[in-house]
Amino acid sequence: MIEWIESVLRLTIQVGTIYLLASLGEIYAERSGILNLGLEGIMIMGAALSFIFTLAYGHLAAILISIIVGVLMSLILAVMSVHMRLNQVVTGLALTMLGLGLSGFIASPEIRRGILLTLNPSLPENLLTTQEAPKLPEAPIPLLSEIPILGGSFFNQNVLVYVSYVAAPLMWFILFKTRFGLSLRSVGENPAAADALGVNVYLVRYLATMISGGFAGLAGAYLFLGFQPFWQEGLTAGKGFIALSLVILSTWNPLRAILGAYLFGGVETLQYRLQLFGLGAQSPYILAMLPYLVAIITLVLISYENIRKRIGVPASLGIPYSREE
Amino acid sequence: MSLRIKTRFGILRIERRLSYTRMFSAAMSILSIALAFAVVGIILVIMGLDPIRAFSLIFGVYVKPPLLLESIKQSIPICLSALGLGIAFKMNFWNIGAEGQLYMGMIASTGIVLLHEYYGFFQGWMLLPLMLASSFILGGAWCLITGFLKAKLSVNEILPTLMLNYVAILVVDFLVHGPWRDPKGYGFPLSIEFPSYAKLTLIYGSSAYTGLLLSIAAAAAVFVLMEYTRPGFEIKVVGQSVNVARYAGISVSGVIMLGSFLSGGLAGVGGLSIVSGIIGRLRPGASPGYGYTAIIVASLAGLNPWLIVVTSIFFGGLLTAGGALQMNMGIPGSATQMIEAIIFLLILVGEFLKRYRLILERGVRD
Amino acid sequence: MGLEKLVELRGIVKRFPGVIANDHVDFELRCGEVHALLGENGAGKTTLMNILYGLYQPDEGEIYIKGNRVRLRSPSDAIKLGIGMVHQNFKLVESHTVLENVILGLKEPGIRIDFEKHARKIGLLAERYGWRIDPEVKVWQLSAGEKQQVELLKILYRGADILILDEPTSVLTPQETKTLFEALRKMAAEGRGIIFITHKLGEVMEVSDRVTVMRRGRVVVTKKTSEVTKSELANYMIGRPVIFSLEKVEAKPGKVLMRLIDLEALSDKGAPALNKVSLEVRSGEILGIAGISGNGQVELAEVIVGLRKALRGKVIIDGLDVTNRSSKELIELGVAYIPPESVRWGVLPELRIVDNLFLKAYRYPPYSSNLILNWRRMFEKARKLIEEFDVITPSIFSKARSLSGGNIQRLVLARELSGLIGGAPRLIIAAYPTKGLDIGAAEFVHKLLLKHKSMGSGILFISEDLEELLMLSDRIAVMSGGRIVGILSREEASVEKLGLMMSEALPQAW
Repeated sequence: MIEWIESVLRLTIQVGTIYLLASLGEIYAERSGILNLGLEGIMIMGAALSFIFTLAYGHLAAILISIIVGVLMSLILAVMSVHMRLNQVVTGLALTMLGLGLSGFIASPEIRRGILLTLNPSLPENLLTTQEAPKLPEAPIPLLSEIPILGGSFFNQNVLVYVSYVAAPLMWFILFKTRFGLSLRSVGENPAAADALGVNVYLVRYLATMISGGFAGLAGAYLFLGFQPFWQEGLTAGKGFIALSLVILSTWNPLRAILGAYLFGGVETLQYRLQLFGLGAQSPYILAMLPYLVAIITLVLISYENIRKRIGVPASLGIPYSREE
Repeated sequence: MSLRIKTRFGILRIERRLSYTRMFSAAMSILSIALAFAVVGIILVIMGLDPIRAFSLIFGVYVKPPLLLESIKQSIPICLSALGLGIAFKMNFWNIGAEGQLYMGMIASTGIVLLHEYYGFFQGWMLLPLMLASSFILGGAWCLITGFLKAKLSVNEILPTLMLNYVAILVVDFLVHGPWRDPKGYGFPLSIEFPSYAKLTLIYGSSAYTGLLLSIAAAAAVFVLMEYTRPGFEIKVVGQSVNVARYAGISVSGVIMLGSFLSGGLAGVGGLSIVSGIIGRLRPGASPGYGYTAIIVASLAGLNPWLIVVTSIFFGGLLTAGGALQMNMGIPGSATQMIEAIIFLLILVGEFLKRYRLILERGVRD
Repeated sequence: MGLEKLVELRGIVKRFPGVIANDHVDFELRCGEVHALLGENGAGKTTLMNILYGLYQPDEGEIYIKGNRVRLRSPSDAIKLGIGMVHQNFKLVESHTVLENVILGLKEPGIRIDFEKHARKIGLLAERYGWRIDPEVKVWQLSAGEKQQVELLKILYRGADILILDEPTSVLTPQETKTLFEALRKMAAEGRGIIFITHKLGEVMEVSDRVTVMRRGRVVVTKKTSEVTKSELANYMIGRPVIFSLEKVEAKPGKVLMRLIDLEALSDKGAPALNKVSLEVRSGEILGIAGISGNGQVELAEVIVGLRKALRGKVIIDGLDVTNRSSKELIELGVAYIPPESVRWGVLPELRIVDNLFLKAYRYPPYSSNLILNWRRMFEKARKLIEEFDVITPSIFSKARSLSGGNIQRLVLARELSGLIGGAPRLIIAAYPTKGLDIGAAEFVHKLLLKHKSMGSGILFISEDLEELLMLSDRIAVMSGGRIVGILSREEASVEKLGLMMSEALPQAW
């Protein structure tokens, strides 16, 4: 029984970390007023890149590349949203489509082979054709991982999960207790006020967008390497979009995002467990709907709450800023 | 800092244009597409593939009759969805759920066929009209869910419509793997094939003509709706400003719900055109992203119904070309999506260049 | 100190599409002085000051701060040079605390914010000028006067010695204005230079040492306040003697058209906005509503026309209880509404003029039957209307955004008052209909309202301009804090009495 609880908790955290990493970055983007609908595309690019680069070089390179490409992709969004003042919904979708197409393209057998050989000409044949990459190993923390239930779940995970443990409170601290965080939040609420006090609104928004891209790339790398290292097209299946709902659910607060992320982690874990109990061969599809339905329900509930308590979306979300217009 | 960027060559100033002609606008759009193809060409070269061969394959789909018919066939679901999106976007309702509404339309149509084939309901001639009606209603209802959430609970429509896409696809997965699986289908997840009177009428052996008629009829209907009717006017007003709409006595929630229903309904009919016009049955992954392509089409066409018909054919051609590229040159199918996305991004950049002028002031010292 | 020039602007030119906002302007500010910048709306005062603050770049001209030629590329440059600006629309982050607003963008060593240190320093600074502000309070909870104090704290905290205030008293009660002026005098005495943008002559005389008058982008004159009179200033401002010539239309008030009984309603933020408001408007009379904006006037108008829910109380029009009926029903009852800031909220800029004209009337015959719109009739009528109402535009198909402010207001008037829906409106609710308009456009509005009054309509006229109210209204009600403080007839009323009532110094003995 105890083992069962521990394994459920462990899986919940494992899955939840995907959502946590993705939403931490997006919280910063949205807090500064930029909606990054490209999250899904960046995530899947992160996954595809980590697939290829792990085979060619190893885990570390893969993770770094995913983050860097994530930053670059979101830079496209940043330029188009901040300087060209284009509609962020449409630009973000275009970016997601690009990511989906490009990732499928580079990970397709022929192209992938070509890329792998270019990167590392001495790769053996089996690596050139495999659909699988070595998973990130678990790194149990001595002593802590021996605590019953909690130790096994929290402290017997891979390194990226530990990164998320540190990242969430750190992001919270930066957002609420530092000058940069104050500037960022102010830009999101009233860019004119920030501008009038000499805050560089454009720079802040660029940085925030790049942060969301970097985290999304990392989330994609984690999804693949840390969780499910079998490449398939459409691997992310909307997880990036669910992360966007998570951002709203967490009321743009990194600490609350932890709770929300593990909520969705739990829902998916439930989905897998129920499948194991053999609820019919048809059930996988019905169960697979759970995360999406839960996302919708949470959005409805939070809208209701927000209206009642007057908690706001960052006031300038999605609205381009210009001084002279 | 705002509108000035210091570059090595001087200061780049971004200034809003006072106005621009339609010629200019069209020229910019064409330039964007040309640029997109240039980028694609470069990517092909880097991949070690022959761009000339690729482009000739692509242009071929618009010129060689059998391929052109295929392009038109592929354009129908895109066109119908995009027409629906035209209504939604005019209303400032970001319907990202056209893909799911397409699937719901497919479910409705297949359901009618199955009722007929398995239970003997309806006469044969009734099927197509019933399928048309039911796909409209089910697709409309699927979108109305989000429309209701927005109208009554102020939930932002982007994420719910998106989430419902994944749900709809899973519903289809469930049905074709389960209760709707063709018993004679050797275990493959397919529905039975539709009888001929449940398929779009073949003219000269292709459903493309009937489909095109359907597209044009729908475009005409949308045009009349938006330009000559009260609901169309209200949709435009609500899309401009919800506050001014209320001030004018318009029931904003009513308009949002109607608009979302109509938008989803058209996409639902798009679903009909897939199962009845392209595949002939229901199967998983029946849509290679028509609903998302429709978003690009609607944006590119500026929400104009007639331009949407034409633009859909262009993108239908791209899809067909994607198939040709895959067969003849081994380029993976995802390339099509990539090309579409690049076109989309460059068109958006073109939008920016339409609205703003870039002026380079050389050698200005601060 | 002494007569040292803090700021000197020479030959400033700034152009926007279609207009020259600043036309070779010269301006200077001396140490220790309060310098008023006077002019009508659109004279170019705010633009000039935005240039001084680095928000806009001048097309031509030079800026000298404390004798040095400078180039201000952004507010950061201005702030570094000791310039601070308080804008007309406060630039505050409402959901943040006073402290967070004051220290935003402050360059300091270290990443962490030392909240305690700043709270203490802000507290001391506020005390120096006699302000009572708690740094931990969220800004949205403050009154307008307190918010302005936060804006001033922002600048003073950064050690500004050149202060620019843009129409600071437009949101203040007379009492708060007094507090502000005292603080300004103190700041000037401490060696600072203060530029005070206004269009109110009385304030110029009260608080400034020198005054510069601007008109249509040019400087007309700069004088010592002690050497000039109010009427001279008015002359400089407008360019002609200011005489409002309007035929007095005698009130022939008929039956009671609208009666409000103990109305209560909330504002958008959920705070009480209307507090047991009771009023009557008769046909053929104009009832003016005076008061500082933000005291419930707009909410009152919205409740009457069905755009806001009344929590308690009744709205009775022509004997019919129409409380909380939809805006559509109110339109059909013949109630016209000219919304505040029509230029921003009353038209749809991206739609055509004809669409805007028929924004309400499109659904009624003869302009539509069943669900189909009859464009031909609408085009015909639209052409007539733009002639009748003098809306200057090349065509009824132009987008509304191509119209100037005055023309947009004419469009709104054409829509509301020309009786497109079943004849001339019986009840007209006009909220700040002349705000932001030049004299000619304002006169047009006045004449039109008087015409409808003589036709028997009842008019509720909300305005901030006491002189305008005195000119037009038969009776004037003063609103403050969501209540009707008192109602005076035109004969009884005067600017002084109304002003006192606005700050609730007089009991409701009337």
